[in-house]
Formats: sequence, C-alpha cells, structure tokens
Amino acid sequence: MEGSQNEDRQCWRCGAGVGTGLVCPGCEAPQPPPDGDLFAVLGLPRRLAVDGEDLERRYHAASRALHPDRHQTAEPHARQLSERASAALNRAYRTLRDPVARGRYWLELHGNPLHRENKEIPPALATDVFETQEKLEELRTKATPALHDEVRHVHDALVARLVGLEAELSRLYAGANGNGMVDELKRRLSEIAYLRTLLGDIEAALGEVSGAHSRH
Amino acid sequence: MERIVGIDLGTTNSLVAVLEDGGPRVLVDPETGAHLLPSAVAFLADGEMVVGARARELAPDHPFETILSVKRFMGLGFEHVSDDDRRRYRFAEGREGVVRFAVGGRAVTPPEVSAHILRELKRWAECALGDTVAKAVITVPAYFNDSQRQATKDAGRLAGLEVLRLVNEPTAAALAYGLDRADEGTVAVYDLGGGTFDVSILKLRGGIFEVLATNGDTRLGGDDLDGRLAEVVLAELPSVRARARAAAERAKRDLSAAERTEVVLDLPEVGRHARAPITRSDFERLIRDIVQRTVVPCRQALKDAGIDPRDIREVVAVGGSTRVPLVRRLMAEIFGRPPLVDIDPDEVVALGAGIQAGILSGGRRDMLLLDVVPLSLGIETMGGVFTRLIDRNTTIPASVKETFTTAVDGQTVVDVHVLQGERELAADNRSLARFKIPIAPMPAGVPRLEVTFLVDANGILSVAASDLRTGLERSVEVKPSYGLTEDEMERMLEESIDHAEDDVRERQLREARVETDVILGATRQSLVAHGRLLAAGERERIDAAVSALDAARAGEDYVAIRDAIESLSQTTEPFARRIMDESLQEALGNRRLEEL
Repeated sequence: MEGSQNEDRQCWRCGAGVGTGLVCPGCEAPQPPPDGDLFAVLGLPRRLAVDGEDLERRYHAASRALHPDRHQTAEPHARQLSERASAALNRAYRTLRDPVARGRYWLELHGNPLHRENKEIPPALATDVFETQEKLEELRTKATPALHDEVRHVHDALVARLVGLEAELSRLYAGANGNGMVDELKRRLSEIAYLRTLLGDIEAALGEVSGAHSRH
Repeated sequence: MERIVGIDLGTTNSLVAVLEDGGPRVLVDPETGAHLLPSAVAFLADGEMVVGARARELAPDHPFETILSVKRFMGLGFEHVSDDDRRRYRFAEGREGVVRFAVGGRAVTPPEVSAHILRELKRWAECALGDTVAKAVITVPAYFNDSQRQATKDAGRLAGLEVLRLVNEPTAAALAYGLDRADEGTVAVYDLGGGTFDVSILKLRGGIFEVLATNGDTRLGGDDLDGRLAEVVLAELPSVRARARAAAERAKRDLSAAERTEVVLDLPEVGRHARAPITRSDFERLIRDIVQRTVVPCRQALKDAGIDPRDIREVVAVGGSTRVPLVRRLMAEIFGRPPLVDIDPDEVVALGAGIQAGILSGGRRDMLLLDVVPLSLGIETMGGVFTRLIDRNTTIPASVKETFTTAVDGQTVVDVHVLQGERELAADNRSLARFKIPIAPMPAGVPRLEVTFLVDANGILSVAASDLRTGLERSVEVKPSYGLTEDEMERMLEESIDHAEDDVRERQLREARVETDVILGATRQSLVAHGRLLAAGERERIDAAVSALDAARAGEDYVAIRDAIESLSQTTEPFARRIMDESLQEALGNRRLEEL
C-alpha cells in the first residue's frame, strides 16, 4: 500500500495507532481522511479493475462507522471530523463506482488528465454523430411523429453502442498493467463521454418534442 | 436519558413521535387525544394567538388573520409569491428578502409562524413523556432547497428546539416501512402531501437505506386539488373563498371512498347551505392535469438512479393526497405495481422521524440513512454562468474545494454568490446566499483563496475559506438571499423567550382556573348530597377554604390559586373519605342483596 506517512498515524483522541483507517479501532473516534488518493480512502490499491460488490461492501462498512448520525452525541471535534471524512468517503465512492469517472481519476493520478473541454469528435463515432445531428436538426424544424420515432430508434441504437463500449472498458481494466495503455484508455473514455453527451442531447430534443405534442 | 423527538412539520398537519422499545409511537394532544395538529396559526386582533384545530376553525371567519399552509412559504422571497397567494394571504410591505405576513398588526416571517406549531408539538411531547423536550429531528420535503431547510431549522430554534437533523420525508417513510421488513432491494417512495410532492428511489441493503435519486415539486400538493374544486364552486360565489376551500376539501375526502357526493358550502349569512352534487369522475377530470405533474419527477428520479421501473420492488404511498384513487392508479402506472398503503399515510413520516431520532441517540445501531442533495449547488462565474460544484443526487455529507483569486489590483474582498438549481444561467437558478471573504490587498491574480463548500447531513451548505499563501483560516460573512440573518435570529429568539414566559403564565392561569371551577362544583355538590356526613365545625372550615379559593381565582396569580386548591383539598379530605366509605358500603350491601 502507498502513503507511508499514513502508517504511523495516531488517534487524536486516545493515541492508538489508526494507520489508514477512517475511525479509531480503539475508541471509534473519526479520523481525518488518510493522505493520498480516493483509492486509499476505501482501502484499495490504485488499480483500474474494481469489483463493484466489494466496493459497495467497503463503502457501507465505512459509512456505518463514520456517518455523522453515529457521532451525534460525541464532542464537536469528532462531529466535525465525521462530517469531513464522510464527505471524502462519499466522493471516493462516487468516483470509483463509475468506470468512466474512475478511469479519468486514474489518468489524473498518473499526471495524464483527460481534458473535459476536449470537443473533438472521436473518429470512431464520427459517422453516427453526423447522422444523428442531421436528424435532430430535422426534428427541430418539422416534428412529425414518424421522425420522432426515427430519432427514438437512433437513440436506442446508441444506448446499445454505449453498453458495448462500457463492457470493452471493463475488459480493458481487467487486463490493465501500467502506462502502456494510457492512450487506449484516453480514446475509450473520450468515446464514452462523447456518447453520453450526445444521448443527453437526443433525450432533451425528444422531451421537447413530446412536450410540444401534448400541448396541441 | 434525554429524549429526542421526531417531528413531521407538514403543510396541512403536523405530528410528533418517539422511538420506544416496541417501535415508534405518535404522541397525542394531552387535552383531546388527537394525533394530528392542524398546521394552522391564527393571530387575532386582541393579540391572542391560537394554534391547531381551533385556528383552522377560525380560518373561514378570519381568512387573513389565520395562516394555513405556512410551509409553502418557508425559505421564500417576496418575488416568489403568486397572485393566488396574494388573494389568500396579506403580506407586509417589502420587495426583497424573506417573505413576511401582515397579521395582528405586525410582520411575521414563516419560520416564526412554524415555530408556534413546533412549540405546541413540543408541549404535547412534554405532557406525554413527563419531561422537558429540547432536541428534535424534523422532516422536510426531499426537494426542499438550502433556504427552505435553513428556514425549518430556524423555526426549530425559535421554538426552543435544538434541531439535530433534518430528514427528508420520503426517506423517513422508507425507514418506517423498512423497520418491519428485513428487505433488500430497490423501493420508490411517492409522497404527495398537502403542499409538496417528492419522489425518492432508495436501495435497501443490510439496514442501510441509500437514496439513489430524488426529485419533486415543492409547490404541488393536496392544496392544489382543493383549490381546483373550490374554483368550480367559486365561479358562482366569489365572496366565500376560505369556506369554499374547506367545502372542497371535505368533498375530496368523500370521493376517496364514495363514487359521488355533494359539495356543501355553509352560508350562515343567508341561513342556509349551498349544495352541488359531484361524482368521482367529475373530480378526476378536474384534477387530472395537476396529478399528471408528478409523472415527470418520477421518471427523472428513475433515470437519475439508473433504475428501470421493472426493478422496483415496492412503491410506498406517503401523504394524505395518496388516498385519492386517481393518484394511486397513476402510481401503479408509473412503477408497474400497486402502492403499499399499510401504514397510515398521514403518520408514516412522523414514525420514520421518530426512528431517526432513535438512531441519533444510539438506540438503533443497525440502521443508517444515506441521503442525497436534491438540487445541484454551484456558484455564479464570469458572464452570469452557473458553474456546478456539487451535482444533484450526490450523497451527503459532500464537500468540494475551489481556489479563487482576484480580478482587480488591491481587491480586499472576494464575493462568492452561491446558487442552487439545474439551469445553465445563474439568474435562472435559486440564489442561496452571498459569501464575503476578506483578503489582504495584492496585485490581481496573486491571492490564492481556497474555499470549501460543505453540504452537511441536513442538506445545508456552509462555506469555509483559507488563504493558501499564509495557511490562515478566513472569516466568511454570510448574507442569505431569502433567509434570516444571524442578527435577526438573535432578536427573534429574545422575543420568543419573553413571549414564551407570557405564554406559559397565561396557560397556567387558565388551567388553574378551570381546575378551580371543577373542584368548587364538586365540593358544593357533595355538601348538598352528603351534608349529614359532616363533623362538628367541619362545614365552617370548608366554607372558609372555599371563599379563599374564590378570592384567589379572581386574581392573576396562578401559584396562589394552586395553593388555595391544595388547602381546600386538605380541608375536605376527611369528609371525602367518609363519602367514599359510605358509597362503598352501599355498593357492597347492594351486591349482598343481589347475591341473596
């Protein structure tokens, strides 16, 4: 495990050794979140492959010990720490449970962040993107039920595509072993991110149209 | 041990509950035994203030002095008040800041009105538990924003309650249902109350209640159904708005069980009732579009939770309005299964609040709620853009750090405008507060200010700042957009303490006088009926004690009245024992006769 400065951490209340623990094994006092990364908060190594069931078990166990509801009757400092550390725990779980957020975070940790502002269309999606945008444009000008159905069809096809890309990402994570795959990881993450945004646009357009219909 | 109570501060009714060994229990009105306290407060011309059932009865004759549905105004500003609100309530002058009602010759804020309701519930709880109550869990609609939550917390403080936790109503309801079901799985809670609508999707696992997503509408509820039906009546009789709403509400209730009923409007001025027949399908036609407004929040919550309706194991119905058959049909349609209704939808939130109070006091270590922030939180950035810092449905507590610097040379304060909502432009979202952080003057871009935004387990935001160059903490001055400042709170707290003493004295006096009347009546009756049992000189002693009590009753000192009552009881005690003995003997004698 990383973060050697964590190993000799002591409980602020009773002085017992706490290591990377979120609460003191002796007196149950909440501890400041361990230094280092979000993986460490959940007691995990910095690895892209994460077992979802195991992650949830760790999160629930840590929440049971750390949540402010558990420290309501404690002194103000303990209550404050419980709030701060719970917030860190919640952020760690939110980031690590989603494969895309986890991948982005992993890239960040390795000094190779994926820029959110990257608006370039991933080459593998180019054809689909242009076709979809054409259809959406058409839909905005003349909202016929037939066109609406067609866009809905495109939407469903893209959802299937997204599911496929996410499955590929999991396979990539399972075989991941270091920096050799950074470029591939970046490519896959951009594709998924782009596809998610596109699906959001389509859903908004479909929502608008169906709203307009019901008003007629 | 100090008891923590759970309070459901509802739009229409409020309740208080505690967790006991056998489970949660709703505490009742010590005088009437009622479970529900109508959330009504009347401010009468003579300065008298009435809370609860009597206040609701006063509403038709005092429409502007009686505040009903105050919850709809919690955490709101004047600009959020609708034309319909202006017809139903009278507001104090003012264009900005927190909304104020003009009642009883003064301006009263919604937290002050709610505090009267909370104080009455506190009294119920104290009578039921035989101990003072100073700590509470209060429920709020899941979709309440930061200002509305803060206003609720302020109301608690004004009522003399330390609010340990604000719990979301649908989550509380899930807790009440989850208590007797060791279930695992995903559940939906559909909560249509008197004035607010919430939907929450929760995952239950091993005693952990994890909210996946929540959505709703804080201006949609049973009030709107009543209003729609009242409009029909009002079309013919525009002068009786409050009475028409009451008549509509009664008819709505009838139609939950019956296929047809009559809207009956009392018209004492003309000495008759106006009646209009209505069928359930007429009513459903009138309200369909209102009920339909709950569909989009449900779909959005399911989508945000990433849950297909087919994967929902149970649907829980909460709030009185889920008794309306059309609402139940719609729930079944959205979630693909009929709703669970086995806990009274009016009580389920309070019972859950009672359980959460038990969790906080360490009584239920097996259960834990993980709730979420209902609306995205962010700040206003260059060009009036809303920059999200914490997304909606993020589990709380949640925190995020942002680094700020200055735009102008020598700038001495950094102004952070925090808003809540889902729109792209700052102006389209709800302003929560402005935070001012002082900094030492330096060239533009040099200062490095780290600001931590923390949403606590109540869903309430706080802001802390530190100077990254010096590592020193920086003070933050908070100016809430639609809330009470700390100074205003202090002033109100002082006032409420003064009034609380007056209130207590007034109530004690009233109670002592009532008790006097009861004991004097009983004494006089006994003297007439059992005069022959009096010993020598006893009559004179009793008469003296009676006159002393009479004199005390005419005074204003309730302690003197209590003393006089005590002294009369002592004087009459031997006489009372003789009466008791005699009636006992009579009873025994009668039985012996019967047995013979």
